[in-house]
Amino acid sequence: MRRQRAILSRLQPLIALAVLVLAMSLLSDRFLTSENGWNILRQISVNLCLSIGMTLIILTAGIDLSVGAVLALSGAVAAGLLKHGVAVAALGVTLEFTVFGTIVAGLLVGAAAGWFNGIAITWFRLPPFVATLGMFSIARGLTMLWTGGFPITGLGPAFGFLGTGVFVRVPMPVWICGVLVGIFVVVTNRTRFGRYIYAVGGNERAALLSGLPVGRIKRAVYTLGGLLAGAAGLIVTARLDSAQPNAGLGYELDSIAAVVIGGTSLSGGRGSVVGTVLGCLIIGVLNNGLFLLDVSPFWQQVVKGFVILAAVAVDRMNPRAA
Amino acid sequence: MRRGRRRLILGSAVGAGATVLVYFVPLFHVIPLRPPGHAAAGAVFNAEAFVDRFWTERLIPGAARAANAAELVAAVRRDRAAARRTYGRSVGLGDVYYFFLGGMGRVVSVDKSSVKLSLDDRDPKLQLSLETGNIFGNAVRDGTGLLDVNDFANSQDFNAVSSEINRRIESQVLPALRNRATVDAKVRFVGCAEITDDDTDLDPLRVVPFIVAAP
Repeated sequence: MRRQRAILSRLQPLIALAVLVLAMSLLSDRFLTSENGWNILRQISVNLCLSIGMTLIILTAGIDLSVGAVLALSGAVAAGLLKHGVAVAALGVTLEFTVFGTIVAGLLVGAAAGWFNGIAITWFRLPPFVATLGMFSIARGLTMLWTGGFPITGLGPAFGFLGTGVFVRVPMPVWICGVLVGIFVVVTNRTRFGRYIYAVGGNERAALLSGLPVGRIKRAVYTLGGLLAGAAGLIVTARLDSAQPNAGLGYELDSIAAVVIGGTSLSGGRGSVVGTVLGCLIIGVLNNGLFLLDVSPFWQQVVKGFVILAAVAVDRMNPRAA
Repeated sequence: MRRGRRRLILGSAVGAGATVLVYFVPLFHVIPLRPPGHAAAGAVFNAEAFVDRFWTERLIPGAARAANAAELVAAVRRDRAAARRTYGRSVGLGDVYYFFLGGMGRVVSVDKSSVKLSLDDRDPKLQLSLETGNIFGNAVRDGTGLLDVNDFANSQDFNAVSSEINRRIESQVLPALRNRATVDAKVRFVGCAEITDDDTDLDPLRVVPFIVAAP
């Protein structure tokens, strides 16, 4: 009986998603079409990128409020390097970045921001909430400084392919997220590092006393979170063909919502990347379905809030798996 | 020791792989900086100088591409949607579109902010209005199709071009029009119209002129 309840609690996000899909397909005849399905996957791709990183962080009982700002910074740096390059007056040269170089630079910016968060939390013992709140402000300010407050546009079709291209009939953002999900499902389930993440989140003191490099694990996790925020920034920038200084506003809350709805515990040690994928899908299906039903976007926000509350409440009522 | 050696081998393999990848797919190209005299990267955009060159080298010569005003206005009166498809030009998202037109008309009325022209004496309803008040919007910048936002470093520079074009129209073109605009006088013109609302902007068609001349 207990085992059945434990299995049921793990399947809750999947059951919720199935119920939601069924309800939306009954309420709207435009919902259950392949075109709409690809739309949903495309729409959740950015949030999914952010949410994978957020899952790792929350599994360690941390939080990252800067992912939206880091997304904007990474996108802006990538766009600026691609459009204008970097002038090195001392050497009398300009470095004209290729698309590949731009992607690497965007990812490095995200990873650097995440690493900085990790340093603040592990070396300076700042609470994750405070440290990442500081990075939120720093990254926003740096984005404004880099862009001068204006969008950077006209990035070319090669870069735009990342966000708008299709490969074997699957949109590129979906490909990118699919690969990332695959990688991090393997990392969390099949690698020592993945076990360490759960151990640190489950009981940090016990993990430390067991000899785990808790500080290094946390820094790695926040660095990965930043790297994934950088990837999300590249997707957004490629899709819009412009880097917007205000990109990513509110994205951190959406990613936390997806992680929580997917069953990851905010106190750490419990959850999964697959659950987060389901959480993103639930939010995506909800938004898409309510849009097709012509529901006001403001009411969509209200509904999303209630879904988050319900997800956490149900999770609290579940027995912990043995 | 074994773990350390394994890490060393793994790190070396990753480093070698990255080096090979970067050799075939470089991160950036090194280009000599332009010599002094050329605009350096990050230099302040000079909208006045740009519009000066644009006006003489591209805008005035480009006037030959303008649609015939009488035909356009007649098409709008017959079928607005069809006229938009045939003559209209849209930029980006949104419902705003532009007409680029030129022709000759006879002045039928003059007021503080516009000069109304009759385009065909046989049809008194074939009229349009040349704007003579303060010029706002992006009609001439976007209506001719001669400028592309992607050719500018940022939207601030692009907007500065529009402001400078409007300023030049107000200071050089409109005074000449006001001098010429007496009732029954004939005026040759080329300009653009920005349509944001079909009901208010098409009847009469309000045109921002950038060429005004005697017939």
